[in-house]
Amino acid sequence: MTDSLTNPLREGLASRAMPDPCTLVIFGATGDLTHRKLVPALYNLAADGVLPPAISVVGFARRDKSDAEFRGELGEAVRKFSRQSVNDELWECFASSISYHRSAFDHFEGYESLARRLDELDAARGTRGNRLFYLAVAPDQFEVILENLRKSGLNHGAKGGWARVIVEKPFGTDLPSARHLNDLVEGAFPEADTYRIDHYLGKETAQNIMVLRFANALFEAMWNARYIDHVQITASEPLGVEGRAGYYDKSGALRDMVQNHLLQLLCLTAMEPPTGLDADAIRDEKVKVLRSLRPLEGDDVFRHVVRGQYGAGSINGKRVAAYRDEANVNPESDTETYVALQVNVDNWRWAGVPFFVRVGKRLPKGGTEIAVHFKSVPPVLFKATGEAVDDNVLVIRIQPDEGVSLRMSAKMPGSSLRIEPVKMDFHYGTSFGKATPEAYERLLLDAMSGDPTLFARRDEVEEAWKFVDAIQAAWRTRSEDLTFYSSGSWGPTEAEELIKRHGATWRRL
Amino acid sequence: MNEPGMPVEIGRIDKELGKLWEASDDTKSRASLINLVIYSEDPGSMESNTELLSSIASQHAFRAILILADPGAVTSEAKAWISAHCHLSGKGGHQICSEQITFRLDGESASALPSIVFSHLDSDLPLCFWSQAEFREPLDEQLWSWVDRLIFDSRTWVDPAAQFQLTSRICAVTETVLCDLNWTRLHPWRFAMANLFDHSAALKCLPEISSVHIECCPESSTTSLLLLGWLADRLGWKLQSLLGSHSFLTPQGREVGFETTCRGENGISSVVLSGAGFSFRLHREASSGFFHATLALPGVPETLLTLGSGRERLTDTLLAELSRGGRHPLYPRALAAISPLVPGD
Repeated sequence: MTDSLTNPLREGLASRAMPDPCTLVIFGATGDLTHRKLVPALYNLAADGVLPPAISVVGFARRDKSDAEFRGELGEAVRKFSRQSVNDELWECFASSISYHRSAFDHFEGYESLARRLDELDAARGTRGNRLFYLAVAPDQFEVILENLRKSGLNHGAKGGWARVIVEKPFGTDLPSARHLNDLVEGAFPEADTYRIDHYLGKETAQNIMVLRFANALFEAMWNARYIDHVQITASEPLGVEGRAGYYDKSGALRDMVQNHLLQLLCLTAMEPPTGLDADAIRDEKVKVLRSLRPLEGDDVFRHVVRGQYGAGSINGKRVAAYRDEANVNPESDTETYVALQVNVDNWRWAGVPFFVRVGKRLPKGGTEIAVHFKSVPPVLFKATGEAVDDNVLVIRIQPDEGVSLRMSAKMPGSSLRIEPVKMDFHYGTSFGKATPEAYERLLLDAMSGDPTLFARRDEVEEAWKFVDAIQAAWRTRSEDLTFYSSGSWGPTEAEELIKRHGATWRRL
Repeated sequence: MNEPGMPVEIGRIDKELGKLWEASDDTKSRASLINLVIYSEDPGSMESNTELLSSIASQHAFRAILILADPGAVTSEAKAWISAHCHLSGKGGHQICSEQITFRLDGESASALPSIVFSHLDSDLPLCFWSQAEFREPLDEQLWSWVDRLIFDSRTWVDPAAQFQLTSRICAVTETVLCDLNWTRLHPWRFAMANLFDHSAALKCLPEISSVHIECCPESSTTSLLLLGWLADRLGWKLQSLLGSHSFLTPQGREVGFETTCRGENGISSVVLSGAGFSFRLHREASSGFFHATLALPGVPETLLTLGSGRERLTDTLLAELSRGGRHPLYPRALAAISPLVPGD
């Protein structure tokens, strides 16, 4: 019945286990991510009643401020960015769990005093020695923070509790740097306690891919090279680099989006059924997909990858500047803001089925989706009528307007035989009226609960970098393949030609 | 009473619904996740149920079959109406609509309930049947075997002991999930109480509880009994009766007293669990969406907490039940723990 660990009143209250009471320490607590995403996500979790009241939040940053000032700033941020309206009474109660710890990241004494503070919180609030460290800082700060956490012993939970670390992307800039970072993390925290965030995996529709595939016999039976012609994965956005030029100009679309988000979506689309729903069973299957990707190297890169950069143009009727004219961008920059590539998954299931992946900025419309294009029916029965029969397309919309649609052919009413494509459409927002939680809410809750399923494992990250590094290496040998497209267009014409070689066209979003 | 929609012949309901959607322009879409049947014998319920359906449509799309029956009426008559509850989707211009078919069944026609339900279901969608009338013999096994979730509210029952027996029999012969809104109503209380005992110092007090005091309005006496039953089941307490007075016995053989006080007008207003040197008090004002908790533990300063409680309006309770899904394995156990205390006629 009641042992020292389990609360018998918890049973049957929710479909998932309540996370353990813990202290969340946010490094980079005064930064944008903390204000826009993390603390609003925590407030929403508290408002939904899925956080234990004993949770504590400690902001760790260099600037001098009091607990009250820190809470005040976060209160403003939550009012601005929370998905649900803020109730003052509830915020005040939640805010009482927040404190601020001032220290430079490289100041060891700051970690020693943090350890003492966490012990005090354990005693006062019942957080049981459980610590979750969130590195919401630039990657160049990881090393010093991890080293100090290790030296101060904070990488181990106190009094039998646990210690975990959440690492924000970008996780490296190439394979060697990712390995170096992984080694650093591994020096302080075991892999089982390391949570590498890819917020796409926290999105409801990304999680639905597995349910759609493996809970519906209809789709899984046809999910292979016999029935599928090709797959298109698109992430488009009308925005430019906004305030991220400094980072983006060094990164580019391939490393910023393809290496993590889009390859993750590809893995979820292409993977085999896992042996179970535990984190490693799922991640094992994703890694197998990454290992099956046909490497793009040397001249293959220029045949199968198109990179582009936006020029001036107009978005939603407004003139916008070319990438090279954006503030903080090198005027001679060769950084790609668009990339389209043909990826082949060389395994039994996907032999001969290309995956066309494209991502771009300053495109006419924002959206992320996976479109599975099925093969054509044999051109015999309706050929004589002269009617074209469109292929079936199953579209999984990741954002916005999350949902799934299926295009099929139907006879138009009338005495003659006319065939038109029609669409069956499932919208999350229509069927399930309640707002879906933000990705960070789910991911924070999972990390507190010790569920790493929606986080990238070390080998996943490294395999993805291996694939992407080969493309980067080929690009470094020559730059004349960089093409330019007008802002507000759907990208360079070379991308159209890339997919046309397969006899297909990019989907209109 | 206003008519609850467009009057239609019962045999033409599907056709008229079809016409309704054909006539609407492309700005309206029909949506449905469940068949929701509401059966009532209260003459004043048609308007309130229609309002209730309207208020949940934006969060839980349905095909509703609303039935008002008067089995005792001398004249046998059956009438039907169709209507839709539409709301703007998040994107603005587009409207999402849920259908409502309303029946008025008088006299002999009321016995047509099963066929009325069976012939107007949206196929392949789950069937949730909310019986606002009390169950009576003989039970229609065929009807209940079609029901995926049988919703009722034991708070409104005149003879809870007899009604609980009938629902147990339905459950015994069918696969239907029993969904007592009185149990759903307790969810925020159970959740908040579980939160209080997450703290390890508080968790140690659980086996030491020696007294439970619940304050509730007179109409919520079964609600408070279910809460007591839940605590007893979770903590392994056994009910014992001695000379007409009741208490619980813990697994360690200690006695736990309990008391229910009638107070207020709105459900449960407070729960106090106490023992030697400690007490946990959870309190909610009638109009508040929050619980206020006070924890007094040995060697720890008194702690005050504010926890979200949601509202206890019928709309919220129904939505909570529809959204949670799944079975309610603790419900029959809670009921069993306090069954001798359930009042009967």
